[in-house]
Amino acid sequence: MLEVQLLYNYLVIGALLFGIGLVGLLSRRNMLIMFLAAEMMLQGVSLSLVAFGRFHNDWGGTTLVILILTVAACEAAILLALVQCLFHRTGNLDIAVWHDLRDANQPKFIDQEVPGDDAAKPEWPTLTPAGIEPEVDADEALEHRIHV
Amino acid sequence: MFETKSLMVLIPALPLAAAIIVGLLGRRWLKEYSHVPVVLALAGSCVFSLLLLKDISNREPDAKQVGVEVTHTLWTWAAIPAAGVTTPQIKATPNFQIDITLRADPLTCMMLPMVTFIATLVAIYAMGYMHGDPGYWRFYAYVGLFVFSMTMLVSVSNFALLYVFWEAVGVCSYLLIGFWFEKPEAAAAGKKAFLVNRVGDFGFAFGLFLIWVSFGTLNFHDAGDVQGVLGQTLLANPARYAEIITGSVALAIPLLLMVGACGKSAQFPLHVWLPDAMEGPTPVSALIHAATMVTAGVYMVTRCSPLFMLDPRAQLVVACIGGFTALLAGLIALTQTDLKRVLAYSTVSQLGYMFLALGTGSLAGIVAGMFHLFTHAFFKALLFLGAGSVMHGMHHIIDMRRFSGLRRVMPWTCLTFLIGSLALAGIVPLAGFWSKDQVLAAVHDRAHDGGPFVYLYYSAVLTAFLTAFYTARAFFMTFMGPLVVPHEVGDHAHESPPAMVFPLVVLAICSIFVGITFDHSLGDFIVRTPSLACTLVAGEHGLEHHFHWDIAAISTVVAVLGIAIAAYFYLGDRRQINALTRIMQGVRLYGLSNRKFFFDEIYHVLFVLPLKGLAALSYLIDRWLVDGLVNLCGWIPRAVGAVLRNIQTGVVQFYALAMVLGLALLIGTLLVWKVG
Amino acid sequence: MSAAALLATTLITPQWPYALAALLFAAGMWLLLPRGAARGRRLGAGVCLAGLALLTLLVHCGMVVACGEESCDVKWLPALSTSLGLGEDFVFLTLAAVTVASAIASVTFRKPVYCAIWFALCLMGVAGLFLYQGAQFLGVATIVVYAGAILVTILFVLMLATPEGHAYYDRLSWEAPLSSVLAGVLVGLLTITTASALTTPPTGDKPAAPAWLAAKTTDAYHAERSKNILNDNHLAGIGRELFSKHLIAVEVAGTLLLVALVGAVAIAQSIGPTASATKRDS
Repeated sequence: MLEVQLLYNYLVIGALLFGIGLVGLLSRRNMLIMFLAAEMMLQGVSLSLVAFGRFHNDWGGTTLVILILTVAACEAAILLALVQCLFHRTGNLDIAVWHDLRDANQPKFIDQEVPGDDAAKPEWPTLTPAGIEPEVDADEALEHRIHV
Repeated sequence: MFETKSLMVLIPALPLAAAIIVGLLGRRWLKEYSHVPVVLALAGSCVFSLLLLKDISNREPDAKQVGVEVTHTLWTWAAIPAAGVTTPQIKATPNFQIDITLRADPLTCMMLPMVTFIATLVAIYAMGYMHGDPGYWRFYAYVGLFVFSMTMLVSVSNFALLYVFWEAVGVCSYLLIGFWFEKPEAAAAGKKAFLVNRVGDFGFAFGLFLIWVSFGTLNFHDAGDVQGVLGQTLLANPARYAEIITGSVALAIPLLLMVGACGKSAQFPLHVWLPDAMEGPTPVSALIHAATMVTAGVYMVTRCSPLFMLDPRAQLVVACIGGFTALLAGLIALTQTDLKRVLAYSTVSQLGYMFLALGTGSLAGIVAGMFHLFTHAFFKALLFLGAGSVMHGMHHIIDMRRFSGLRRVMPWTCLTFLIGSLALAGIVPLAGFWSKDQVLAAVHDRAHDGGPFVYLYYSAVLTAFLTAFYTARAFFMTFMGPLVVPHEVGDHAHESPPAMVFPLVVLAICSIFVGITFDHSLGDFIVRTPSLACTLVAGEHGLEHHFHWDIAAISTVVAVLGIAIAAYFYLGDRRQINALTRIMQGVRLYGLSNRKFFFDEIYHVLFVLPLKGLAALSYLIDRWLVDGLVNLCGWIPRAVGAVLRNIQTGVVQFYALAMVLGLALLIGTLLVWKVG
Repeated sequence: MSAAALLATTLITPQWPYALAALLFAAGMWLLLPRGAARGRRLGAGVCLAGLALLTLLVHCGMVVACGEESCDVKWLPALSTSLGLGEDFVFLTLAAVTVASAIASVTFRKPVYCAIWFALCLMGVAGLFLYQGAQFLGVATIVVYAGAILVTILFVLMLATPEGHAYYDRLSWEAPLSSVLAGVLVGLLTITTASALTTPPTGDKPAAPAWLAAKTTDAYHAERSKNILNDNHLAGIGRELFSKHLIAVEVAGTLLLVALVGAVAIAQSIGPTASATKRDS
């Protein structure tokens, strides 16, 4: 494959990954999936960088991608802590719940009607109970699963 | 014991150091002892000035030099390369350079002991007068600063520095006039003095600019190959002056310098600030507004007399301003009832006398002007301090109509005030007689040729009469007649403390003897000043002493007549004066004098009102146009924000969407730009 | 001129085929995204695939035109048959297809766990593409750091925080049409920009590609590069580069890692039981 062609192909794939990640980031409402999408955009950029680096015979692209990896790791650590924090506040991962920074005269974000869950109730395998079932305090159990 | 150069530095340095010490420590630590550093420093300065005087008077000019001068360059203040002036008449002066240079010559050495001596006495006097004032330390800090500025003013050897210290004494004057700034009149008087002086300084500055472009330097002395304006090279060859400044410039330079002198020395038409300046503490009036600062204009004109010699019209203008101011102020002083104001107008009048003498354009005239400056400093300081003593005893009441007969409660003040009055009136053999006689003689010499000087001579004689009259009037109204004290004082009227009486006595003794002692010797001394020793000023013969019996007789007769008429009117039951006042009121002359020829009102209409109108207009423009524009600038983002606020939904993804939209726009633009 | 070149000249000169491809891609993405109870995911997958296939064709044709058929060693349609013999291009194509397909799956699946697993596959594809480029270290590092660490952590959090069944927010999208179209526009713009820069067709006496492209195809350049970025001791080269020229950046990155570590701990510590309790009470 010609070098120019290789570069071109990689740039297109990079753009595609960036675009797909963008769709995910913009439209998905689950914070974790948004994070995945953002990481995917980074992957697209990394691909372009590496391709350029190879094309120009330069280490810069590779170096930059290594740094991107580092930053992505930091990002993941912070983000996951934040997601945990937010999840404990509301009990779900919906990003649309958090719009407190809107302008004072803006209305609250109201969802369109929530469609019913079309997935069939999963059938979990059951195991034969072994030993005595532990005592479960009803209140405690309620509190434990209250959010989900 | 001391080198000349260290003396020249020490004289201004001591008051400055004292001012800094008092300024920094006075409020917290020195408090009622604030006078100690200042009095000591001023006394030290005075001693050093006398030593310097002795040093300079022992020097004989050598054959190559014009006059006696010692210069001492401390450091270079400003040096701008390749900013010099080149004219066909002078050699190229490549650099604009201002050296901090002090000079000692007879003129400086005459001024320095006088300034420091009177300042010392005034500082001692103020220990009593200002006692207990909350701003005691501030007063002494200002006084120290003033004496530093004044000694520097007469010591510097450069027009730029002269201007700097000219302004510095103005600032001190402003600070001291407005010393009791809580009092509205004092604050207004300070402002007035400052603003009126600005007019004069404006002219002075233009004079300096003209000197700079003509001579290419602002130095008095020669420095290297730069020939100073009043340096040895030019003075030895005065014909060069006529080559360097020609035509209208030769008239413009002295006239502009005279404008500056008019402002500082309160000459018509800028005389209006000095009477108001009496709002300051009386020691300040004595030191700054009678003895020293207001004579800076006279000093400057004398210093620059070679420049004034180039065009006779300039001399005539100086003489006319001086003569007219002397007469005008004398007329106004006739009807003033405020003791300090009488003295203030008297000061204006006597300063006019000095300018009249300088304007004769003869060496004798200039010497007479300086001699009058010298004697006037003593007896006018004495009179002001005496008035201050009266104020001190009368609880700051100074209206002469409200007290009389104070000779009984204030014998020392009365005696010394009498001596001062007689000296001012020009009674033999007190100081004023000798100097006034010299002035009249100089004017009379010029009047031989006819022309305007004849009228100036007669107006000077008339002024001498008026001076005697109003001085005697003030004395009689204050000290003679039955004892009357204002009811606020009750029976607390008392003689002033020794700290105040001592300077009065010293000054009284000086007022008796300085005239007769220095009648000839002062003139012989200061003609060795380079500016005065050059042939342009001194002529071929130099100074010749003649005692004019005729003029002495006339002036004595006039003075005695003035005192006698005052005695006729003011001793006794004053029926005649009341009748005379009514007649004068009938022909509207009384009001003219009492209201100071309406100068304040005229200036108010001519200058203050238009400026106020302009200010109001500017205010309106600022308020509506400028502020409107500024508010518009503030309103635009707010309006835009009001629109954009509606998209602030707080949903994170919307912001991401907006970012991507922007990115897409950028790339699209790039594409269209490059490809399309 | 071969059929491919003819097709290419008609397709590439105006840019509308790129726009069409991007539009198809966008429409497919929209259909694929969770939209409540609406159906059409299979259709979406098809449309999306069609768009991507068109794009692939355009990219290839653009290359053919740019390089000229004679000088180009990629002969797409004929090469397709030879590629079946596991040629070099086949590897690349497979990797690219896996990457893009799993990426699409990763953002469109409703169950977050599936998303994460598809994302892992996507990462594998990217790592393979890295390796294909000769960037060995990056390929391995991507798998270790992303798939090994980040993704596992995400899965861990998902296990902790996912409710039973499909959460409502996983069944809904925010402005799916708008974001799909926007992403499509962006992809189209990027592709067209790249294409216009790299694959200018020859017009008149002007050469097919810019001169700087020609310089990169010389043997001397290849020899130079095999000594450098495509060296056998690739890793040593990276190390030398990283710890000499970019030493400060490395130090900063290390500090950043430390700060992030501390920050994550600090944030996680602030989760107290009271927060959830107050929420429940309200």
